[in-house]
Amino acid sequence: MQSSQLPAQIEFCSVTKMYGPIPAVSNLSLIVRRGEFLTILGPSGSGKTTTLMLLAGFVTPSKGDILIGGKSVAAVPSYRRDQGIVFQSYALFPHLTVRRNLEFPLEMRGIRSAERAKRVERILKRVHLNDFGGRMPSQLSGGQQQRVALARALIADPPILLLDEPLGALDRNLREQMQVELKGLHKEFGITTVCVTHDQDEALTLSDRIVVMREGRIEQTDAPEVLYDRPATRFVANFLGEANIFENPGFKIQSDVVQPSGTVAMLRPERIGVAAPAAPQHADSDLRQSVTGTVADMIYAGPLRKYHVRAGGDLIVVREHVASGQQIFRPGDEVRLEWLRSDVRFVAA
Amino acid sequence: MNTLQKLAGTPIWLAVPAFAILLAIFGIPMVLLFLISLDAPTFSVANYQAFFGHGANVRVLFQTIEVSLVATTLCLIIGYPAAYLITAVSKGLRTTLVVLVVIPYLTSFLVRTYAWIVILGDRGLINNVLRDLGLISSPLQLLYTRMAVYLGMVHIMLPLMILPLVSVMLGIDKSLMAAARSMGARPFAAFWRVFLPLSLPGIRSGSLLVFVLCLGFYITPAALGGLRDAMLSTFIAAQVETSFDMARTATSAFVLLGIAVVMLVIFGLDLSGPRGRAARTSWKWVHLFGTPMRYFNEFAAYYRAKYWNASLYHAVANNRWWKISGTVFVLLTMCFLLFPSIVVIIMSFSAGEFLQFPPPGISLKWYRSFFDDPSWTGAALTSIQIGLGVTLLSTIVGTLAAYGLNRTVPRLRSFLTLVVLAPITFPSIVVGIAAYLGLLKFGLIGTKTGIALTHSLGAIAYVLVIVSATLANFDRRLEQAAMSMGAGPLWTFIRVTLPLIRPGITGGALFAFMHSFDEVVKTSLVSGVSIRTLPLKMWEDMRHEIDPTIAALASLLVLLPVVWLIALYVTWWRSRPSAQRALPEPAT
Ligand SMILES: Nc1ncnc2c1ncn2[C@@H]1O[C@H](COP(=O)(O)OP(=O)(O)OP(=O)(O)O)[C@@H](O)[C@H]1O
Ligand SMILES: [Mg+2]
Repeated sequence: MQSSQLPAQIEFCSVTKMYGPIPAVSNLSLIVRRGEFLTILGPSGSGKTTTLMLLAGFVTPSKGDILIGGKSVAAVPSYRRDQGIVFQSYALFPHLTVRRNLEFPLEMRGIRSAERAKRVERILKRVHLNDFGGRMPSQLSGGQQQRVALARALIADPPILLLDEPLGALDRNLREQMQVELKGLHKEFGITTVCVTHDQDEALTLSDRIVVMREGRIEQTDAPEVLYDRPATRFVANFLGEANIFENPGFKIQSDVVQPSGTVAMLRPERIGVAAPAAPQHADSDLRQSVTGTVADMIYAGPLRKYHVRAGGDLIVVREHVASGQQIFRPGDEVRLEWLRSDVRFVAA
Repeated sequence: MNTLQKLAGTPIWLAVPAFAILLAIFGIPMVLLFLISLDAPTFSVANYQAFFGHGANVRVLFQTIEVSLVATTLCLIIGYPAAYLITAVSKGLRTTLVVLVVIPYLTSFLVRTYAWIVILGDRGLINNVLRDLGLISSPLQLLYTRMAVYLGMVHIMLPLMILPLVSVMLGIDKSLMAAARSMGARPFAAFWRVFLPLSLPGIRSGSLLVFVLCLGFYITPAALGGLRDAMLSTFIAAQVETSFDMARTATSAFVLLGIAVVMLVIFGLDLSGPRGRAARTSWKWVHLFGTPMRYFNEFAAYYRAKYWNASLYHAVANNRWWKISGTVFVLLTMCFLLFPSIVVIIMSFSAGEFLQFPPPGISLKWYRSFFDDPSWTGAALTSIQIGLGVTLLSTIVGTLAAYGLNRTVPRLRSFLTLVVLAPITFPSIVVGIAAYLGLLKFGLIGTKTGIALTHSLGAIAYVLVIVSATLANFDRRLEQAAMSMGAGPLWTFIRVTLPLIRPGITGGALFAFMHSFDEVVKTSLVSGVSIRTLPLKMWEDMRHEIDPTIAALASLLVLLPVVWLIALYVTWWRSRPSAQRALPEPAT
């Protein structure tokens, strides 16, 4: 990746955070590079918020150290860390107007009032809230509050932006709109961003790299495409998108590489083609593996059609885009499944 | 170094001043008293044996329990339907009714006791009316009877029963009743099977609060009851006055305290779950005492719209007969609560020489008599001075303590909160004796400082309760947000926390002042001979000469809570947006 040439901005060095005897984050090491948009993704309770709060300074590590710009921040309190944070529920000050909310970080940095007013107007325009400066946060819609929170985090030009489920409280349409907005802002400000989410679409859309966490540990860190295409573990394969894991296929899985020990074969549903058993073979059939099975179920989902096919000992999920002239199979039909041998992945069990 | 930093960063230290005052004036003396009652250092239970061996003592003890039980039961019988009806009406009317319950709650209890003297006296309202109607020829003995004691006590405690009940009833989801009805429950069955069980926590906490406070009653029974209606507190006070046999007094005090504590332990514990009992108990107390504040909140800022509306009323009372009797009941209750104060106000304009009702003519002479008498104005000045001092001290110390406790682990917080609440939970006479002992050591008996410190014991508890309730609603992430923007702890507190909890602090300050301005029992013990506060002088005059000067003062005091409410309303009206707290919930 190109970003790996950039200097490290944030470093977690074997950080552990215990709550009582239970680690919320254990032995976590991670590097975030300058200008990178890094997303921490994981199921509920996997330690995402804790990781973010460790970085923000609201939680102190039980073990290990965190470096920002190469220096340990163990002794630096949160208010000296110079980070913009967007909290999950925005945490806009309910007793201050939008304008005073936005001025707050500037005031704390001792910026004079004329300059403050200028910057507030500029950022209000940038987040399309020109006429809302005089309102109270409670008089704004969810999406507008979200944009104020974002503006407040960015207004003092901090080198680091932290987002905790920034779009979690928005409905689906608004969320997609804000994803575009967020991406634009990130590009424009070039700010190192760490974002926590459990929404995989959000993670795939926004991030340069994604960290998948599980039970306080990092499962895998990679660019979105790599993560999806080459998941390291079965957990990652299942957590991002859908995956066919061949537990006891009843046939030999062919592959161009040797299967490492302690792994299982994995195949994405959209990589599998489905055809009638008698249909003509593909021209490159020597690169493919094909098996026959019985359709157990067919699910129609808008532009996609999903088959559950029983082949060998496993139920294989197949996903194909709906197109005209396709043959549609019904439960009980015999079908032939085929895929490129190079599409098979081996993931840690 | 690191641990030191951590310790210094723990805001629990903020609670130190509060606990220092509490320990010095109350905690340590209590321990000493207990040791005295046990004849330390020889240690024996001889004093307790003597107490229970004395028939009169035991009789007073049982009488105290009996009177408290009856008063509590009466409060519940009147309070439950009243609370139910208050929750059932439309929001605007409900606010009005709650304010009408809160006003007597905030009115000086001396004034309310005095009002009953005016009503029940030989030439009082009832006797005069009956005589004018020709129903009696000589006055009935109404005052100095057990009935008068009950009237006075129920009148004083009823708001404390109604307010927690209303608060619990408002929290009951109205759709539950509708659901029960949809499943075929008749209105009464829906009430009996769904609403009543859900309102049990309110019944329990209201009754417990009323009962425990009744146990410590002293002034009202002493003023309205006969010699045979003495409560244990009155008895202890008499002991203190006649002989200062510390061991005997301490023993009686601990017997009284013992009953209160046993009651609290038996009924205060949440039996529904074994985990975190202490925590729940103490927080219940916090909520009980914090209840009035929540009404003010509702009153000042319409921030929750999911309350009951008239439909509950329809659920049970959709026939006319119910509606009429409900209305009459609420009217009667409100009359009972408010009428005595009105009688006092009318009395104060009397042209007569005695407590004669209705007054023979109208004049302002009793007001003149009050303002012209330096012993009255002097007492008023003393009370205002002490009150302001108490307010300042306890608001600062109490707010710091609330903030500190809010940031500690729940277990410690519950325990320490219980400790702080002791001065307003324990019978006043017990607290007063402890404070006497404490102040004696510092040579502060008979000084304004001493009185102010004694009042601060209770005042800090009120501030703590009210500010804690506000802090519990405070979103800590707002502080984190401020810090992430570069605000240090102090700035964060000043710019974010303080403005948002200001309504609680204002309310706490107000309660602190009121507590001090209305305190008699403890004051009478620690004031020595030279200092007379307003309530103290009022109490002494009530016992000796009964001329309507007190009525003039009393009507001024009746206006006080109205002024407070308006003041609060104005302060909170201005901070309205903060009370709306429109932080969206995460959509999970
Ligand atoms: N203050 C705390 N005290 C005790 N345990 C905590 C505390 N905060 C978090 N934990 C525990 O640490 C673990 C990780 O919590 P964390 O909030 O980081 O999860 P998360 O990944 O953000 O989950 P979610 O997606 O639900 O927000 C959880 O098991 C949680 O119960
Ligand atoms: Mg979280």
